[in-house]
Amino acid sequence: MLSESVIRSLQGIAGIDNVLTSKEDRLCYAYDATNQIFLPDAVVFPSNVEDVSKVLKLANTERFYVTPRGAGTGLSGGSIPVSGGVVLSLERMRRILSIDKKNLIAVVEPGVVNFELQMELGRAGLFFPPEPTSLRYCTIGGNIAECAGGPRSVKYGVTRDYVTGLEVVLPTGEIMETGTQTVKGVTGYDLTRLIVGSEGTLGIVTKATLRLLPFPKAVNTILAIFNDECAAGNAAAEIMISGVKPSAVEFMDMTSVKCTRESERFDFQVDSGALLLIELDGERESLDRRSGVVRDICLREGAADVRMLPSKKEVKDIWWLRRAISPSLVKIRPDKIVNDVVVPLSGVSDFLQAVRKVEKEKGIIMACFGHAGEGNIHVNILLDKNNAEEAGKAKEVVDYIINMTIGLGGTISGEHGIGMTKRTFAGMELHPVAYEVMKKIKGVLDPNGILNPGKIF
Amino acid sequence: MKKLADYIPDLSMCVRCGTCRSTCPTLITLGRETASARGKLSLIDAYIRGEIELSDTFVKHISECLLCGACQQSCPNSIPVPEIIMAARAEVINDRGLPLITSAIMKGLREPDGFVGKTLKLASFAQRVIFKDASHAGGMQSRLPLPYITDERLVPPLAKRFFMDIVENVIPAQAGIQTDGLILDSCFRRNDNGLEASSGEKTTKVGFFAGCLINYVMPDIGLASLKVLEKAGAVVIVPRGQTCCGMPAISMGDFEDAKALALKNLEVFEKHNFDFITTSCATCTDGLKNKFRKLLDDEGPEMKRRVDDLCSKVRDITDLLVNELKLPAAMSDLKNSTGGCVVTYHDPCHLRRGLGIKDEPRELIEIAGFDIKEMKHPCRCCGLGGSFSITNYDLSSEINRLKAEDIKGTGAEIAATACPGCMVQLRDGLHKLNAKVEVKHIVELLADRIS
Repeated sequence: MLSESVIRSLQGIAGIDNVLTSKEDRLCYAYDATNQIFLPDAVVFPSNVEDVSKVLKLANTERFYVTPRGAGTGLSGGSIPVSGGVVLSLERMRRILSIDKKNLIAVVEPGVVNFELQMELGRAGLFFPPEPTSLRYCTIGGNIAECAGGPRSVKYGVTRDYVTGLEVVLPTGEIMETGTQTVKGVTGYDLTRLIVGSEGTLGIVTKATLRLLPFPKAVNTILAIFNDECAAGNAAAEIMISGVKPSAVEFMDMTSVKCTRESERFDFQVDSGALLLIELDGERESLDRRSGVVRDICLREGAADVRMLPSKKEVKDIWWLRRAISPSLVKIRPDKIVNDVVVPLSGVSDFLQAVRKVEKEKGIIMACFGHAGEGNIHVNILLDKNNAEEAGKAKEVVDYIINMTIGLGGTISGEHGIGMTKRTFAGMELHPVAYEVMKKIKGVLDPNGILNPGKIF
Repeated sequence: MKKLADYIPDLSMCVRCGTCRSTCPTLITLGRETASARGKLSLIDAYIRGEIELSDTFVKHISECLLCGACQQSCPNSIPVPEIIMAARAEVINDRGLPLITSAIMKGLREPDGFVGKTLKLASFAQRVIFKDASHAGGMQSRLPLPYITDERLVPPLAKRFFMDIVENVIPAQAGIQTDGLILDSCFRRNDNGLEASSGEKTTKVGFFAGCLINYVMPDIGLASLKVLEKAGAVVIVPRGQTCCGMPAISMGDFEDAKALALKNLEVFEKHNFDFITTSCATCTDGLKNKFRKLLDDEGPEMKRRVDDLCSKVRDITDLLVNELKLPAAMSDLKNSTGGCVVTYHDPCHLRRGLGIKDEPRELIEIAGFDIKEMKHPCRCCGLGGSFSITNYDLSSEINRLKAEDIKGTGAEIAATACPGCMVQLRDGLHKLNAKVEVKHIVELLADRIS
């Protein structure tokens, strides 16, 4: 619990209205999209970098924990205050400070919602390639903390590839500027990249300089339907090595597809199997040829049907469907354990086969979807946590999937982060020396361990 | 109506993904999780689990909801958030009782000729004492700060003559009624059931439900509605004895009074054997068509039959005009346009999300001869939310400002909508921005065209 005097100091820093302490208010900052609840002792809304710095300095002298939070939409518990303390909500710092069309650069505050930025950029004919599935409500600060990916990263890369500079408040309260305003720059260590993906454990981003791209001239959207999901996995790998440079290769098994309300708008004509949603962007003249290549690959790999989605409405509907999958799985079982593994492209099909084998053996439903073009499959284990037998089996399945992933030369998290949900596995994947170096970095930057405790390690 | 505890299965469908944050107008404005549907459902869930009480903070957060339904529409699991919020408000009323003034008004509304009607008539005379004219902006402003009504708020004046009185006092078979500039050319006659407009070979019998705002504040919209319905070939009857649709009570969680109002309206309307029952108020339509069933769902099979019969006939006027009365064909003789006058259309929440109506209003605006320029967020709530705008005026105004700026940004000369409540709000918001945009109901645009 925070003392009365600490609360008063926090009020002095952020203003009385920007410090919440009632249980009702704290309950609303106790969760994220992993749907776990850990109550903070207070919620503080900083208005600027100085507020953030002062709160962290106070945290070091008074020794309380600080957990930064954007929109609270993460899938690894990154913004959950596991050990209580202060939730530092960056919702109020939501200004787009500048959009420089000539230099393809934008400067934003961390609380800007990804989609709002995209709308503003769209008016200037630009876009910010990282578009996680939660783009309509997640914040840029959260994207940076988790190094978010999303469907487009198969062509454009992930958040770290589009952040050139940061203003960061270190755990000790010092304000640090990193990186450049230019497209490239190698002066000194790459502290920008150290912060991107550090899950709010090494600093709190208060301003970010982002790299932008001109909006692609045209887009083709293709939907391929497979009776056999392994064939879909093979097709995804083939598309990636064919040279057509897709801007999305999304995999969805039919368990995932059918639980969304949007699925009623389509006639997929299959009950099992999987869909591949492929998007190609670029010059209009090249799209038809590249689409033809994709269609041929899908048919060759055994697709039952390949459709070029003709209307904007269908394209919109299929993307809504894709984005709705994760939250819709609750219709099948009340709880889910989200895995975010990445396996080598050539191993996607083997991986899926192994997943189904264990699904059958354990009698536990598993929904698989994700960015197949990168080998990034979100394996969702569906269960009722209150059912001890099911919970036990689910744990065995998680261990199996993590071991198999590492065995295939993959990684246990492609884009969700380690957070609190996968911390017991991080040491399994990381080289022991690398793991120690990471801990040392954390120790140097956060000597008192006040920033976002209970995450990663 | 379902009780709060009945929604436990719905609450368990919230996986806290945060999708609702992208559409909730109170969240967008307040920028705090407590204002989002996800936050409110978490609080309700904690209350049901016994973790928190019905505290003042709880009540405040539950009050910060417009019941616009945007969250439910965007929710991957279609959680009925507005219903759950209403049930939570009902829980608070059960616990704390209804505020005296609210209780008095709601009971008074059951008898439209009772004290509420009489008080409002008196207020109609007296309003100029307290309020100064701002008719250039379509309303008036208080001369002094009042409880709940600040002096900068543009409020609509009460009508000099209420709609139900106008239609009651029509001389039998008089051709042409003149009221505040609007002329009804058709042949109206009064019978025991109220006003009836009829001519020629009309066969479709339509009952018109006025609703409080049209009755007490904007009778011209009611008269324009009658005119347009008649042009579309309907026999229109305005049944006597009709009252408030009950939506203000429901949204406050006062289900008991809402139920009494529903029963009263049911009795009045079912006597006529209408083909259709229509309103020009999106909120009333949603109330009559969707909420009646829920209010009266535990009254046995006979009541269910009566309610189903009534609800199945209820249609919003825009829907009725386009899909049943085929007004577009009836107005095909009026081809010439209004010369490039641009209209932007605001989707009322109760129409767009409550009833799924979005194309018909736009079609009617075009038929009336206008070009439509869409605003950025046509279906984002205007911020009125019934009593929300009185209890949470600052928040309501801020949401309204976003809407008014959106409208202003289109450069349209007219902002059209299909709900008198939204009109009150839009006028206030546009007035604050000094925007020269006229706010009109679609039936007014159509009635002008017919003249």
